[in-house]
Amino acid sequence: MLQVKDLTKVFASGDNKVKAVDSVSLKIPDGQFASIIGKSGSGKSTLLSLLGALEKPTNGTISVDDQEITGLHDRALSKYRCQKIGFVFQSYNLVPNLSALENVMLPMEFAQLAKTKRKLRAQKLLNQVGLEGAKQLRKPGRLSGGEQQRVAIARSLANHPKLILADEPTGNLDTETGKMIFDLLHSLSKSEDTTIIAVTHDLSIAGKTDVTFKLQDGKLVS
Amino acid sequence: MNVFSRGLRNAFRNPIRTFSLVAILGLSIGLALAMLVAYQAVGQKISSIQSSVGNIVSISPAGVRGFEGGGNPLTTDQINPITKLPNVTSVTLSLNDRLTTADTSLVSSIEPGTLGRRFSQNNGDSFTPPPDATRFSSSGTRSFTPPVTLVGTTTPTILSNTQGGGTFVLKSGKVFESNSMANDAVIGSSLATKNNLTVGSTFTAYSASVNVVGIFDAGNSFANNQVIMPLATVQTLSGQPGQITAATVNVNSITNIDSVTMAVKNMLGATADVTNSSIQAQAAIAPLQNIRSISLYSLVGAVVAGSVIILLTMIMIVRERRREIGVLKAIGASNVNVMTQFTTEAVTLTVMGAVIGIVLGVVGGNPITKLLVTNSANSGTPAAGAGRLARGTFGGVRNNLTSIHGVVGWNIILYGLLAAIVIAIIGSTIASYFIAKIRPADVMRAE
Repeated sequence: MLQVKDLTKVFASGDNKVKAVDSVSLKIPDGQFASIIGKSGSGKSTLLSLLGALEKPTNGTISVDDQEITGLHDRALSKYRCQKIGFVFQSYNLVPNLSALENVMLPMEFAQLAKTKRKLRAQKLLNQVGLEGAKQLRKPGRLSGGEQQRVAIARSLANHPKLILADEPTGNLDTETGKMIFDLLHSLSKSEDTTIIAVTHDLSIAGKTDVTFKLQDGKLVS
Repeated sequence: MNVFSRGLRNAFRNPIRTFSLVAILGLSIGLALAMLVAYQAVGQKISSIQSSVGNIVSISPAGVRGFEGGGNPLTTDQINPITKLPNVTSVTLSLNDRLTTADTSLVSSIEPGTLGRRFSQNNGDSFTPPPDATRFSSSGTRSFTPPVTLVGTTTPTILSNTQGGGTFVLKSGKVFESNSMANDAVIGSSLATKNNLTVGSTFTAYSASVNVVGIFDAGNSFANNQVIMPLATVQTLSGQPGQITAATVNVNSITNIDSVTMAVKNMLGATADVTNSSIQAQAAIAPLQNIRSISLYSLVGAVVAGSVIILLTMIMIVRERRREIGVLKAIGASNVNVMTQFTTEAVTLTVMGAVIGIVLGVVGGNPITKLLVTNSANSGTPAAGAGRLARGTFGGVRNNLTSIHGVVGWNIILYGLLAAIVIAIIGSTIASYFIAKIRPADVMRAE
């Protein structure tokens, strides 16, 4: 269960202070696929950063499986991100000089999993997202956008995270590929019992998720 | 794959940049090593000159130089306290005399020639030749037989300048002990040949029979016409008990020579002339000190240049891969993970540079040392106040400069690797600071 209570993030902009996230409270049960929609600058990505422990909130609390993460120090936050969170980015953000397989193995290396186990798990995940055979040994530059996003999804699942945070996961893909990626995320949320929160502009995609949150000027409006 | 192998692999991510960086680093480390070789070679030469030229204080009775001038001899009692002065390593005492045909059975191996006759006449009216008929020709012209120089000394194997200098090489027999009181002598090879003397032969001096215990060769005619005997023996036989005509004080370092000279002057006062060789030594060392300074500055400069190159490159790489670092942190990498990866990359690049640098240093160390030395020797001039002696010494040292040989040993290679590690650490440190400052949230925000 993901629980967010009165979450606020204030940025200083010159002499002014901007509330990017303003007293957001929400609950998402395990295994649900949630979407966050909102206009550009509404605070979607900031909320995702706060949920992913990439940033510390000004106020409020975030609990994952009853573990309060807002008070953790940097090293514990790295460990938390490594074990509990998976990220999927709009522009994939794969390491360009590593193969697809090595990219997926990377989070498991940070979790100090043995090399043979890492490799087996990475191969399994890549097969699961539909990237098989020799393509697993290709570097990102030799994969299509959809294939790269599949690798990114496999990477996000590597350490059996409780929560996958996807920031515009279909934003750089054509409609058909975007739909395939969305379906993949949806099915994984069920098969892996992982909570997925996706930020999107695409209302047709948002409409298919289990729950949708709408942000406006940093506030949750629905 | 782990952080180390990833760092190693990242070093080759941009082959053109890697090649350029490694080449520049190699030149930088190579130059540093070549300068280190030059620094060490010149340092050894300086030490050698300091120990051979510049650490001697000469004492002679006031008004006397060799057999010129006049005055009263010094005594061993006056000189003995000098051995206890700080920084004095040894003191050589000597009592020199000239053996005429009246004093010895020896015949000089040096023919008088024009110079000998002129020197003899220039001795003036006060010169009273011994009553030896052979010294005057039948026509009344003064004839001259050069005397044999006798040196009573405590260190027979060192030939002072007044003895003709040169290197003492024992050709046969042995050398007497420094505190010997026996009627033993080591004689020059020319004198031995002239008088048909071998080890075990005897000759007379001051009416006493003296045993030839050794024959030496100093490489010059003047020195090879000498008789060297124990100081105490000469003092006794010549009727000059406790007296000396010269002393040479060896000082442990040229840096202490002036203080020792001052102390000796204070002890002996107006009874002695005390001089030292520091001016000559300083003039001899000056060009070498310049080379040493140049090589040291170049060494430091090359290491700093290498550090700056790798530092700027690593900063550039970190800035270039800012997003990647943010992603690595977002998916669970700690600061230590990322810093280790980048440090490995920096170390890999630097070690490759070091390998090239060591090769360049090994190949170029000696030629660069010689180039520096040759240029310095050709352009260097002795200090104005150094005088004729200094110029003479400088000329000698200039000849010696070209004999400086840079040696590339294991220590140089180890220093090369050490320099590489220092460069890599310096290059990685600030880059690591930038890595630690990168916040993964910025990557999300840049989406």
